[in-house]
Amino acid sequence: MTVSPHRFPLSRRRLLTAAVTLGAGVIAAPYVARAEEPVLNVTGWGGKWGDVMKAEIGPAFEAEFKCKLKTDTALPFLPKLQASSRSAPIYDVLHTNSNEQWAAVEMGLVEPKVDPKLVPNIADVYPYAVSDKIVGVCIFTSAIGLGMRTDKGYGSITSWKDYWDAKFNGARGGYVIPANSLGQAFVMMCGSLYGKGQTDLDAAYAALEKLKPIKLVDFTGAMEKLILSGEAGIGILHDSGIYRYDGQNQPVDFVTPSEGVLSLEQVLSITPGSKVKELGNAYINYMLRPEVQKRLAETVWYSPANNKVKLDAKYDAKLLTTPEKVGKLIQVDWKWYNARKDEIDSRVNRIFRA
Amino acid sequence: MTSLAPGSQRPLAAPTDRTNAPALRSRTLPLRWGRKLYLAANIAILVFLLTPIAIVIVFALNPTPFIQFPPVGASLRWFEKFFASRDFMHALLFSLEVAAMTTVASTVLGASAALAIARGNLPGSRLIVATMLSPLMLPAILTGLALFQSYVLLDVGRPLWGLVAGHTLVTIPYVVRTTLAVLHNFDVRLEEAAQNLGASPTRTFFEVTLPLVKPGVLAGAIFAFIVSFDQFPVSLFLVAPGSETLPVALFNYLKFDLDGTIGAASVVSILLAFTVVLALDRTVGLRSYVKL
Repeated sequence: MTVSPHRFPLSRRRLLTAAVTLGAGVIAAPYVARAEEPVLNVTGWGGKWGDVMKAEIGPAFEAEFKCKLKTDTALPFLPKLQASSRSAPIYDVLHTNSNEQWAAVEMGLVEPKVDPKLVPNIADVYPYAVSDKIVGVCIFTSAIGLGMRTDKGYGSITSWKDYWDAKFNGARGGYVIPANSLGQAFVMMCGSLYGKGQTDLDAAYAALEKLKPIKLVDFTGAMEKLILSGEAGIGILHDSGIYRYDGQNQPVDFVTPSEGVLSLEQVLSITPGSKVKELGNAYINYMLRPEVQKRLAETVWYSPANNKVKLDAKYDAKLLTTPEKVGKLIQVDWKWYNARKDEIDSRVNRIFRA
Repeated sequence: MTSLAPGSQRPLAAPTDRTNAPALRSRTLPLRWGRKLYLAANIAILVFLLTPIAIVIVFALNPTPFIQFPPVGASLRWFEKFFASRDFMHALLFSLEVAAMTTVASTVLGASAALAIARGNLPGSRLIVATMLSPLMLPAILTGLALFQSYVLLDVGRPLWGLVAGHTLVTIPYVVRTTLAVLHNFDVRLEEAAQNLGASPTRTFFEVTLPLVKPGVLAGAIFAFIVSFDQFPVSLFLVAPGSETLPVALFNYLKFDLDGTIGAASVVSILLAFTVVLALDRTVGLRSYVKL
């Protein structure tokens, strides 16, 4: 039996051609795959927000807009965006808090505003969501006020100034200010309470000095646990950090001070170099839809920015869902704060070092 | 008067030699105190090393959703939550996958480099050693950022191989260091003897060189696995959306929920590292490494 010489017609040239084609195919495969389905790279939170986004809201967006939504939940977002090319940024839509958005816009990493013509749902948002204190558009807000124990016999707390009461010495929770936006917002509040306004830093520093002894934490999650464990009787916290324990029989409550609550905004903005801006705008518009807003608001206890949203009674009673309630929000001038952040960080570190 | 032991001509030492007692006491007292101090110092070091682990275990078993001391009871609810979480399980398996790949890569590359440095008569070998160990001197977060920027410039995104490359970069120094330590005392005459008896260079390597440097290579591999499995700063920049390693997933979780799940995850990590060391001991043997 003879073996045909044509059974394996593999010459050196064919082999090389096949290898080159295969190599090129491997290299080009990701680009081809990308060409088939547009990909929208966004940032987002973990926790319950991340769960509901991954399970429901993200897939529904992908199905409707026939795209792939890639959500980066691994902090820090800003250094990653900074390190990537301006013409091909790692994110198309940046979702983060206002302080970081202002830092991003100062560096030219995000566009200062979102075009209402391209995001029609902006027409229905409360004025604070597109005010001059906001980069892009705010989709949700939390109210920063005072979280406290209800079982310690502290009596009625109505004002921010009660936080300085000597009865809370040793039971007062605060933040490592350079690392936490609630702590930074609180510095501005101190200026308003004891000085000429948010920018009165000398008055703020003097007020901070009087808060000692105080227990400091980095994250709001740690503040929640500090209050839940009873280690702190009072602490600066956003409303969702208390309301999330609703129905769990915990002796904690959120106090809305008479002077108003600070605003902790969830903001979306578009990166200038994004290749899928249309999709980015569609995503922002989608996140502002009443049904999406309602689902997220009732999952994580954030107040929706869209004024057309009708929440269930339990949520409606506590969240900022009317013009009157929204009127209590105090927005921070993050542009001003960020310009002085190093100086403020250094000073507050000295104050709390002891 | 000295006494004699029964059946012996050797005099027995007096139970207490009153004439030499002060001199003996002055000699044994510092010894006794020195021994006590030595023991105390060792116990203090052990306590210092083990206290964080004990706190993590207490935190993981505590039934309350916050750290409470003294604990009010014991519960496995946080372990249940950890193992029931799809995100955590995905992160755990992904971390194991990355650590396994990193261990293989850094062991092969690091051990080969160490052999080349020790045997190759390479010009500038000290400079090469310093270069190989340099990732240890650079803050890992900068290594992560630099790699991330390189990948972005190359437009390759954040692939798995990129993460493994980053981990390999920071774990190679451990393998190089431990292998070099073994090679330092290596008797090359053993290899020469094998070759004189007719063994080929390949056979000499696998049957003489490798078994002798095994303790160092293995120790490096264990370090590589553990460092990669716990690696946070490098991973922070290199993980792709939806593919987070366990330390990154824990960090993200910590920002929103500071409950015992973090403790449970830490206990699982510690047990995994312990299991790897134990498995290696049982399969390959680590006792020779103890002699290092």
